[in-house]
Amino acid sequence: MKLYQLVLKDILRRKKRVFFAALGILIATMTVVGILTIATAGQARIYSQLEKYGANLNVVPAISNVDMKLGDLSLGALTVGENYIPEVKLPEIRQIADGKIKEALGIKDDANIATIAPKLYVNTKVKGTSLLVVGIDPGEERTIKTWWKIQEGKYLEAKDQALLGALTAQLLNLKIGDRISLNGSDVTVTGILEETGSSDDYHIFVPMPTLQSAFGKEGIVSSVDIRALCNACPVEIIADSINQNITGVRALAVKQVAETEMGMVEKMNKFMLALAGITLVIGAFGVVNTMMTSVHERIKDIGIMRAVGASRRQIIKAFIYEAVIIGILGGIAGYLAGTLVAYGAGPLVFEGTAITYIPQYLPLSLLLAIFVAVVSTAYPAFRATTIRVSDSFRSL
Amino acid sequence: MLEVKNASKVYGKGDTRVVALNNISLKVNKSDFMAIMGPSGSGKSTLLNVIGGLDRLSGGEVILDDKRIDNLDENALVEIRRSKIAYVFQQYHLLPSLTALENVFLPLLFRGANGNSLDKAMDILKAVGLGKRAKHKPGQLSGGEQQRVAIARAIVNDPSLILADEPTGNMDQKTGAEILSLFDQLNREGRSIIMVTHSPEVAKHAREIVFLKDGQITDRVEQPERI
Repeated sequence: MKLYQLVLKDILRRKKRVFFAALGILIATMTVVGILTIATAGQARIYSQLEKYGANLNVVPAISNVDMKLGDLSLGALTVGENYIPEVKLPEIRQIADGKIKEALGIKDDANIATIAPKLYVNTKVKGTSLLVVGIDPGEERTIKTWWKIQEGKYLEAKDQALLGALTAQLLNLKIGDRISLNGSDVTVTGILEETGSSDDYHIFVPMPTLQSAFGKEGIVSSVDIRALCNACPVEIIADSINQNITGVRALAVKQVAETEMGMVEKMNKFMLALAGITLVIGAFGVVNTMMTSVHERIKDIGIMRAVGASRRQIIKAFIYEAVIIGILGGIAGYLAGTLVAYGAGPLVFEGTAITYIPQYLPLSLLLAIFVAVVSTAYPAFRATTIRVSDSFRSL
Repeated sequence: MLEVKNASKVYGKGDTRVVALNNISLKVNKSDFMAIMGPSGSGKSTLLNVIGGLDRLSGGEVILDDKRIDNLDENALVEIRRSKIAYVFQQYHLLPSLTALENVFLPLLFRGANGNSLDKAMDILKAVGLGKRAKHKPGQLSGGEQQRVAIARAIVNDPSLILADEPTGNMDQKTGAEILSLFDQLNREGRSIIMVTHSPEVAKHAREIVFLKDGQITDRVEQPERI
């Protein structure tokens, strides 16, 4: 039998006391893990909300004076003139966008990176009501508008189909399967979007070629949205390069919104870390207190051990073994409890946020718990060994 | 083998000053059995503590095997506790969470145990008649049994001097007698024993009785024809 085995046996026989010592560690670790897990989830949520800004580059015809600063949100004021972008310029735009991103991120392969979603706006009358019909590339548009949800029916799959904004369907009293005429060409309503709160609610979306042929606008688009959302994406460089190399178009970066949001995320992270740090310090004090009590309660035991030949070093060692075990127990339990707390409280802090447990926090909480336990035990244990043996018997 | 020279111990300062030991000198030879008697507060336990290094002297010397031990540092005292001096206390002072066997094994563990030292602890436990109680914890043992465990623990490192502080103080006469016969046996095996007691019956087992009062030796009685 070795000293650590003795400590282990001793711990197993004093489960209750060990439980209370570990409880302090558990609470400290739980709080830190809980806060960090919630913060991580909140951060992910803000990033995903950030993605809802969709495009971060907007390409419009050069002579268009339409204010496009807020992306398609301001399109209500758009009076589409005869200013279009020829479709043949789309591959050039993609080449520049992908090229610059690959350059910035150091990627070599040929895959497409940026999402390039052309749009054609046509103002027309459907069932006697004037509204905006938007020709889109269904696949690319879906990638940009991650927040789109189909309320009824399905998303665009074939040429002669139409996707309705929620309010358009309501106002025109259209249902799935209804046919509508666009300048003589018939399309079938296949899907209705959920309300988005944007001007999309008032539009009708049809595949680009359908709209182009219905209104005789083959080969041209009104604008192009480009999404290249990553921290390092050189949005401004892409815009400059498009403006310099492609004639007849004007590219605008909408990076500012993203930067503001990113700044907020960083501030929030700092705040959360500060909170976690303060909790840790407070928790550590609690642990020191528990451990000091635990050592104090055993001053007599320490006296006994010294009377039968234990050196100071051996006694401190025994307490450190115990602290390590308590730290491991408290650390694991604290990680589990913290994750549970995050699952419970996270959705209340960031509405509707899905919490995911973070396995990397397990070794982190273990280290933290063991460190706090050992540090808070070593000192009182050392102090206890400086008490005279005869006094330690008298103390209880 | 043990000599105490002009030992004094003073607690506190000024008005609260208490003289626990006042210029005590005594000598214990190999295989001696000395009983220290006196009323409570006479300094009996303090004397035992300073002899074994559990407490420090205010003045004087303690000499064990021709070496001063009252001025040793903690590490050197640890060595002496591991090899030469062992204690038996009135309250047994066993670790409550360990079994009888583990309590006996404890001194071997601290000394640096090897593979068969658990067997050695078991042998000693058998020798004090507690082989069948090895797996019991102190709480499950009677006072007499606990004291046997404590005695087994005291002798497991084969000390030459055993310091016993009222070892039968918590026992009825019959159990006390059994424990005392154990001490007699240890004494016959050649160990020196210093035993603090307030019971004249117990003191009859000693070869020499030293009477203490107010920290001073008031009388010494030799009893060569002890029981």
